[in-house]
Formats: sequence, C-alpha cells, structure tokens
Amino acid sequence: MVNVKGGTFVPLYGSDSIPVKVKTFLMDVYPVTNAEYLAFVNKYPKWRKSAVKKLFADENYLKKWDGDLSIGPNAAKIQNSPVINVSWFSAKAYCECQGKRLATVEEWEYAALASETKANAANDEKFYQRSIEWYSKPNPTYLPPVQEGFRNYYGLHGMIGMVWEWTQNFNSAMVVGESRADVTMDRQLFCGSGSDGAKDVKNYVAFMRYAFRSSLKANYTVANLGFRCAKSI
Amino acid sequence: MKYLLPLSILLGLTLSSCSETNPTDALAAHQNTEATIVTELSDMSLYNLESEWQNENNETIKLVQLNGKVQLVAMMYTNCTYACPRIVADLKRIEAKLENYKNGEVGIVLVTMDPENDTPAKLQQFATDNNLDPERWTLLTSSELNIQELAVLLNMKYKNGGNGEIAHSNIITVLNAGGEIIHQQEGLGKDPDETVKTIDGLLQNI
Repeated sequence: MVNVKGGTFVPLYGSDSIPVKVKTFLMDVYPVTNAEYLAFVNKYPKWRKSAVKKLFADENYLKKWDGDLSIGPNAAKIQNSPVINVSWFSAKAYCECQGKRLATVEEWEYAALASETKANAANDEKFYQRSIEWYSKPNPTYLPPVQEGFRNYYGLHGMIGMVWEWTQNFNSAMVVGESRADVTMDRQLFCGSGSDGAKDVKNYVAFMRYAFRSSLKANYTVANLGFRCAKSI
Repeated sequence: MKYLLPLSILLGLTLSSCSETNPTDALAAHQNTEATIVTELSDMSLYNLESEWQNENNETIKLVQLNGKVQLVAMMYTNCTYACPRIVADLKRIEAKLENYKNGEVGIVLVTMDPENDTPAKLQQFATDNNLDPERWTLLTSSELNIQELAVLLNMKYKNGGNGEIAHSNIITVLNAGGEIIHQQEGLGKDPDETVKTIDGLLQNI
C-alpha cells in the first residue's frame, strides 16, 4: 500500500462548493487481480461462484471464471489482470479479510485527481483529455496486467485507464434511480441537502463515475468493474 | 412457527462478514439437534446479513430475529425535520389500515442513518414522543458500516452533509416473513393502498 497524503478538494457533488477534507490514508498500489481473488475464494468458500448468495452477488459473478477455483482457459493471460464481475459485497468482504476496507468515494476521487507528476491535475488539459479518451474506448478482450496501468503521483497504478472500481459509499451520490433520466433532485424523495448538484461540469470523467456508481446496486457484477482496498491510518 | 429460530442458534452466530462459513451452514449444523423447525433463509433474504444491531431497549439483536412476521422497514434519523416525520406519518397511515392484524403478524422497523447521534436512548425517546406502540415498532441502530450495508440492500441512497442534515431517499420496504423484499413504496405522502394490499396478500399466505 502507499500513503495518500490528505488534503481538501471540491468533489463533483457536494454542498455549496465546500471543499471536502480527506484524511491521509493508505491505498493498494494496484487493483485486486484474478490470482489474488482466487486465493481469497480458496480460503473463504462462501465467496465461491457456486456458493455465493444472490443477495450478495448476481448471476454474472466471476462470469469469466470456469469454476469455483479456476480463472479459466486464459488464466495465464489474465491472472495478473484486475478481477472483474465482482459485487460490492464481495469486494468489501475481500478487503475486510485483509484487515482493510474499500475506499470512500471521496478518498477514491481525491486519489484519482493525481497525474504522474501532480497530486491534483484537475486543471491539466492533457491529463484530462487522456482520461476522457480511456473512458471512450471499448473494453479490451483481455484486461492488461495491473502493473501496466500508469503510476500516479502517489504511486498508485491504474486509477484511470484500467477498470472502474467499487467504493465503500457508492450509494451516496445524490442521483436518483436511473442516472441518465434524472440528474436533478426530486424533493419528494430527498430531504436534507436536497439541492446537491454537479459542481464542476467540465469534469465529465468524474461525472461519468458518479453517474455510473449511482446506477449500481450492491449485488451487481459488471464486466469492467473491479476494486482495490484502502486503510485508515 | 415456520420461521421460528431458536435463540440459542442466534446467539451462537458470531460470524463477521469475513468468515469462512455461511450462516446457513451454521444453522444446518444445529438443525439435527434442535427440536424447533429451522427454515433455511432464502438466497435473497436480508436476514443473511450477520451484523449486530441495538434496539431502542439497548438490546443487541441480529436482523434474523425479525423473522416470522411481515416487516415494514424504513430509514430515518431523529434530528430530521423535513422528511422523517413524514415517513413516520406514512408508516402510521399504513399501520392504521392493518388494525385487523395482530402485532405478531406485522412489525414496523425504523433504522437510523445517524448512529453517532441516535443512541438507543434517543431512539426510545423518539418512540415515546411519536406514540409508537412498542409491540409493533422496533427502532435500530448499529455501526455506520452495518447501516450502510443494509441501506444498499434497501436501495437507499443517503449522504451525510456534515451539517447535521442527511440527504436521503424515502423508501418504505415490505419484507415477507423470511426477510425477502416484496414491495417498495418510494416517496412521501404516497397512497398506502398498494403497500397495504401487498401486506394483505402476504398474510393470507402465512
């Protein structure tokens, strides 16, 4: 794990442009790989494909694996690639079993602001353009090994350009239901800071992440959605 | 009787979410030795959650102890001034239409989203202030992570603004006796008829 030095940033969604404080925390250098996840299910049988409860992972859980303890025919090629088709519950359990936890949305977004050289590259046109390009590319047939993801300022690899990642409070984005339909608040459904809205609309990549998260349910497993763990200090 | 779980089994379950066995495996292991019939939880039962909760009497319970009756579940916090009184009002409107049913057939569960503030004592006070029948209503708190885990299963979105207010969706969930989500009523001040009909339907099957 590497140290992500705390600081403040203004998240895409928040109350009144108030910068959010992120405490210094530890984060995994890479997303969790197929090989690492295999070791996990080996030890914890209830997270095997055939044993997992539908409440905790839908029918596409570990879709590309061809058995409880087999990554499949392309194991050699993808064992060091990010594990995908995992649910929030399974990702959370994995991290807890390592004595870690999932990163919060705020921690994840804060760490993802970093380019190779800057902790906050929000205003770096080139960095931003590259992120947009990744999000517009279709998924490759085989995800690359995690080591190939670009290394950012903190020493984290592949925060952008590898897979989408689960966060602990993915359900906190204030976008109701079908994210493409209603990005505004419905006063009927919410109270409190009901006027939360998008802050930095030019940050389209972050907007996509928030929209994607709010479309997820905790037992969903998606083909390009993986995770990495974090830890408080 | 179908869903009755002996307390000894419930107390025996001390598994965290990082455990090597299934909770139902533990149930099965006890099944032969216990006289009471134990029904295995279905795959989609919320009672598969192993987290521990405190009720308004400061007793520690597991969600599986809510089994055996239809439960209406909603999330709120006691400092909430706008939506939460209304969601309690909505639940009371539903409750008023259930007067033919005994408390042993339908329960109502309020889960706080603000565990820092809502201690069991606060929840008890809230229940008293709102004239909530203790035989019918259960108020629960737990750690933030456990609450979050239940919230995602109830399709609740919420966010603590850090200014004493929590932005949240308003959903009333109907669970059957086995803890599966059967119906959800979304929004405030909704006509309770559909929810009541769902409960009627469930209770005719018990």
